[in-house]
Amino acid sequence: MTRKQKRLAVIGGAMVFLALASGLTLYALGQKTSYFYMPGELAGAQIEPGQRIRLGGLVEKGTVIRGEGQDISFSVTDQVGSVTVAYSGILPDLFREEQGVVTEGTLRQDGVFVADSVLAKHDENYMPKEVADGLKANGLWQDEN
Amino acid sequence: MIVETGHFALVLAFALALVQFAVPLIGGRSGDARLMAVGGPAAIAGFALVVLSFAALTIAYVQSDFSVANVWENSHSLKPMLYKVTGVWGNHEGSMLLWVLILTFFGALVAWFSGNLPATLRANVLSIQGLIGAAFLLFILATSNPFARINPAPIEGRDLNPILQDIGLAVHPPLLYLGYVGFSVCFSFAVAALIEGRIDAAWARWVRPWTLAAWIFLTGGIAMGSYWAYYELGWGGWWFWDPVENASFLPWLSGTALLHSAIVMEKRSALKIWTLLLAILTFSLSLLGTFLVRSGVLTSVHAFATDPSRGLFILAILVFFIGGSLSLFALRASSLTQGGLFQPISREGALVLNNLFLTTATATVLIGTLYPLLVEAVTGDKISVGAPFFNMTFVPLVLPLLLAVPFGPLLAWKRGDLGGVAQRLFAAAGGALLAVMIALFLVDGTGVLAAFGIGLAVWLMLGAMTDLALKAGIGNVGARLAVRRFVGLPRSVFGTALAHFGLGITTLGIVAVTSLEVEEIAVMRPGDSLSAAGYTLRFEEISPYKGPNYTEDQGRFVYFDAAGRRIGEIVSSKRLYTARQMPTTEAGIATRGFSQLYVSLGDPTADGGVVVRVWWKPLVLLIWLGGVVMMAGGTVSLLDRRLRVGAPAPRRERAARPVEAAAE
Amino acid sequence: MLFWIVAALLTLLACLAILVPVVRARGASGLDTDHDLEVYQDQLAELDRDVGRGVIGRTEAEQARAEIGRRILRVAGPDSGTAPARSSQMGRIVATLAVLAVPLASWGIYAVTGSPNLPGQPLQARLDANPADSSIEELVARAEGHLAANPEDGRGWDVLAPIYYRMGRYNDAVVAYRSAIRLQGSSVTRELGLGEAIAANAGGTITTEAQAALERALVLEPQNPQAQFMLATAMAQEGKSAEASHAWRSMLAGLPADSPWRGAVEQSLARLGEQPAIPGPSADDVDAAALMSDKDRAQMIEDMVAGLDQRLRENPQDAEGWQRLVQSYVVLGRLEDARDALQRGLDALGRPSQPAASLETFAFERGVTLGEQAE
Repeated sequence: MTRKQKRLAVIGGAMVFLALASGLTLYALGQKTSYFYMPGELAGAQIEPGQRIRLGGLVEKGTVIRGEGQDISFSVTDQVGSVTVAYSGILPDLFREEQGVVTEGTLRQDGVFVADSVLAKHDENYMPKEVADGLKANGLWQDEN
Repeated sequence: MIVETGHFALVLAFALALVQFAVPLIGGRSGDARLMAVGGPAAIAGFALVVLSFAALTIAYVQSDFSVANVWENSHSLKPMLYKVTGVWGNHEGSMLLWVLILTFFGALVAWFSGNLPATLRANVLSIQGLIGAAFLLFILATSNPFARINPAPIEGRDLNPILQDIGLAVHPPLLYLGYVGFSVCFSFAVAALIEGRIDAAWARWVRPWTLAAWIFLTGGIAMGSYWAYYELGWGGWWFWDPVENASFLPWLSGTALLHSAIVMEKRSALKIWTLLLAILTFSLSLLGTFLVRSGVLTSVHAFATDPSRGLFILAILVFFIGGSLSLFALRASSLTQGGLFQPISREGALVLNNLFLTTATATVLIGTLYPLLVEAVTGDKISVGAPFFNMTFVPLVLPLLLAVPFGPLLAWKRGDLGGVAQRLFAAAGGALLAVMIALFLVDGTGVLAAFGIGLAVWLMLGAMTDLALKAGIGNVGARLAVRRFVGLPRSVFGTALAHFGLGITTLGIVAVTSLEVEEIAVMRPGDSLSAAGYTLRFEEISPYKGPNYTEDQGRFVYFDAAGRRIGEIVSSKRLYTARQMPTTEAGIATRGFSQLYVSLGDPTADGGVVVRVWWKPLVLLIWLGGVVMMAGGTVSLLDRRLRVGAPAPRRERAARPVEAAAE
Repeated sequence: MLFWIVAALLTLLACLAILVPVVRARGASGLDTDHDLEVYQDQLAELDRDVGRGVIGRTEAEQARAEIGRRILRVAGPDSGTAPARSSQMGRIVATLAVLAVPLASWGIYAVTGSPNLPGQPLQARLDANPADSSIEELVARAEGHLAANPEDGRGWDVLAPIYYRMGRYNDAVVAYRSAIRLQGSSVTRELGLGEAIAANAGGTITTEAQAALERALVLEPQNPQAQFMLATAMAQEGKSAEASHAWRSMLAGLPADSPWRGAVEQSLARLGEQPAIPGPSADDVDAAALMSDKDRAQMIEDMVAGLDQRLRENPQDAEGWQRLVQSYVVLGRLEDARDALQRGLDALGRPSQPAASLETFAFERGVTLGEQAE
């Protein structure tokens, strides 16, 4: 091989590598991302069974039921709609009634959302950003300032 | 009076930063040595002023001066002294001040240690450094002034976010900022080279130690942050692919690439333009991280309370510096001369491969982090990109890179012999295969991936050792000569081997924890026992306890080994910080060798039990220990003699040398 | 004053940091190529070491040496150095401008953002000040400091608990009442206070916990009207209207005719949509009680206004509070007091200021002016 051919081979190899990497990234973006919904949007949304989504809203007051062991169910509401969430595990420290929460999991046929993770991530004002945006849109929550 | 002095010093530092930007730059353009000389003293004085300002804020925190709004919002008179001090940077305003403190610190360091730099380069570097400082000081003064006052002063503060009341806050942000901001020096050097339109071998030699220093700190900051999240957040994870974690990981990845490409540039004068671009990109990613954390565009455990005006301001800074430097790059890069040629199979080739993989990995992490923002901006859909995405893209990219690591240092410059290198690595490969076999045998064949992961880690570690052994000539020459050669090896060789060895340690920890972790969860009442990974945990009692600014329910556990011997006690608790009415989980952790037993308390159940979650985390400490070893490697490299020279001795000394020789 | 001296000194030092290097700078600096030469020489030396160590073959070493040699030649070639530095007219102008810019910019910006006249207020210094000069918050903080050091001082908690309640720090009040009960033992006042504080903390809901405290008070004093009343309210809150109205009615029957609680009970019953007093005393008695309770109610209002007045004396930085006070006196017909309140409010808020101006307008709209004739 001449020097030029070698150089072309190296550049070609790099190109193939980059193409593979971008392909992988695009595929993963299509497969491994999950959409965020508020309970009110869930009714109208087209969600395939088994598709992972994230559901956020306020924990509805008086709906937290602790079952056998670590089974827990509660409703997440955005005042427009309300969805029952079933979860098994330890709830985060900041999980409280009437506080913002983001859960991740799949929607069962009977409309119960089976969550495998419950997050009460938040900023200093204790409100997850997506939830705050969603609630603001519904006029349920305003910034304090 | 102290508070206002701090405020005034900050304003003065801003004015001085403007001078530090403008005067040396004008001096550099017009070739006026007097004007160029202003940069150094201005940088040092600016640093002193920011120190004064930072000290004033710290005093306000220590004395609980609630007439300072920032103190009132983030402190409490009953808070332990350590957290009063660390609380200074546990909030947006204070942490920005720390950011600028470190920025000016690096500026002063450059001023101090650059006496032997060419005058124009020095003037331009300090000028850019001053410009960055001025931008961020203006940001602080205009949108996030930590010295804003309240009159009349409230009598009690609102306390610091309890999650931040931890020793981790004392170490993590300063280390991280030292890393982030350290790359600003590389950036300034890159821009200065572009302004001058010339870049030479000495340039790379000056930039390398700064890159190395920033990289060491960033490595430490990320490792520390990861360990902090692991024990403080109470769910036992050590990396979440959280956007803000990614924000610190991005400059680390590209900084690592920069570290390697700078070697090529110094040794072979090749990859000049690429190195320059990497230096710009690395600091740009640091700025991006700062923007992401503070603008509130992301949901994250790290997010500060958001304020649109701040986000906009930082975005403007971001666009100005990234856009400005890249435009300059586009204009000037072609005027830089190309350097030495090399074959694809060579040390240079290996380092290019390293850069290819690292920058591609950086790109995937960047895409994963920014994609949700992009989608929301375009379609309004809110999506989240989490661990599955990164596992699918980042991990496959990094695996081949890790496999290739041991080859790099063994290849010769310019033209290498892959076959020969492979031969020399036979022993390491054999060791790795042996490790795979043992692992397969021990984990009863279920964890094939785990076994290969462990093999990979062993391969990295043995590869690093092989490199040292070969360079010392162990096996080829007599033992005494080998020892002498080993001791005489340049420090950077040790640094490389140590850092690569550390990478192997971290890999081992990650593989062990992700594939061999055991998790048990149960409702326990006092007296109940739970078994996990050969250990038996007995729940003794739960009792209330009162700390200085919190109350907690402490669960006490006793744990036994497989033979039933009592080993020790674990205390895990649910805490309530009274001032903010905020609960936290304090995990109970028992360390056994490099592994840990991690106990986390959940909620009490109606029938008097409590949900207990127990993890057995095998070799988990290796993840961070590897980081420490990498830092040690970087430090050893930094101490290499060659990184401190590379500047001509002043003429006077040169003239004096023959006289000395004659005198002897 | 000291601050201005320090600020001036700092400014001076900053100016010197610019001035000194301009004056002292050497004329010329070394050629940039010297640096490159140094690096290349170092590389040659390293090459020799590598050869000596046997890490690199002879031929490779020769090639590398040749390459470094070529680089040295290129650097040492003609016109690769930079021109010697020079000083110029423009340089002097720039330096002067820079030295002037520092004080101008810093003092200018500080004038906008700073509060030079506001002294620092470290907490300890404030607590050490003379108690007579302290605000109620500072006194409370002092007591808190004392209790943090001596958490077993039951009397301290006893004193602090109702103060917390009045300050609206209900959660602290709950903790204080609990501590007082733990250390000093149960008493009607403490249990009542605890119940009230828990309820206030829960936003007015009389929770099970609050009920427990109230019931303990009732055990100590079975006829305590406040406990009875709040427990009945709790039933009403839980939706047990029948039980609530029964409890209130039997309470009404047991209350003395002049009890101030009658009015409250009747109002509560009215809110439940019922007429009170089907069983119980004769119609005449009820009328009398109603009359009495009207008077009582007036008394209660007077008490509340007096309380507000007192609170504003202790904590005068409350523009809204002053408006309420003026309004209250106007309603009560006590115009003299209203004028006095206006005067005190304006003094406290400080004229001229926005809150003071709006208080003045507010009072004017209600016919209260300071009146020129008074002066």
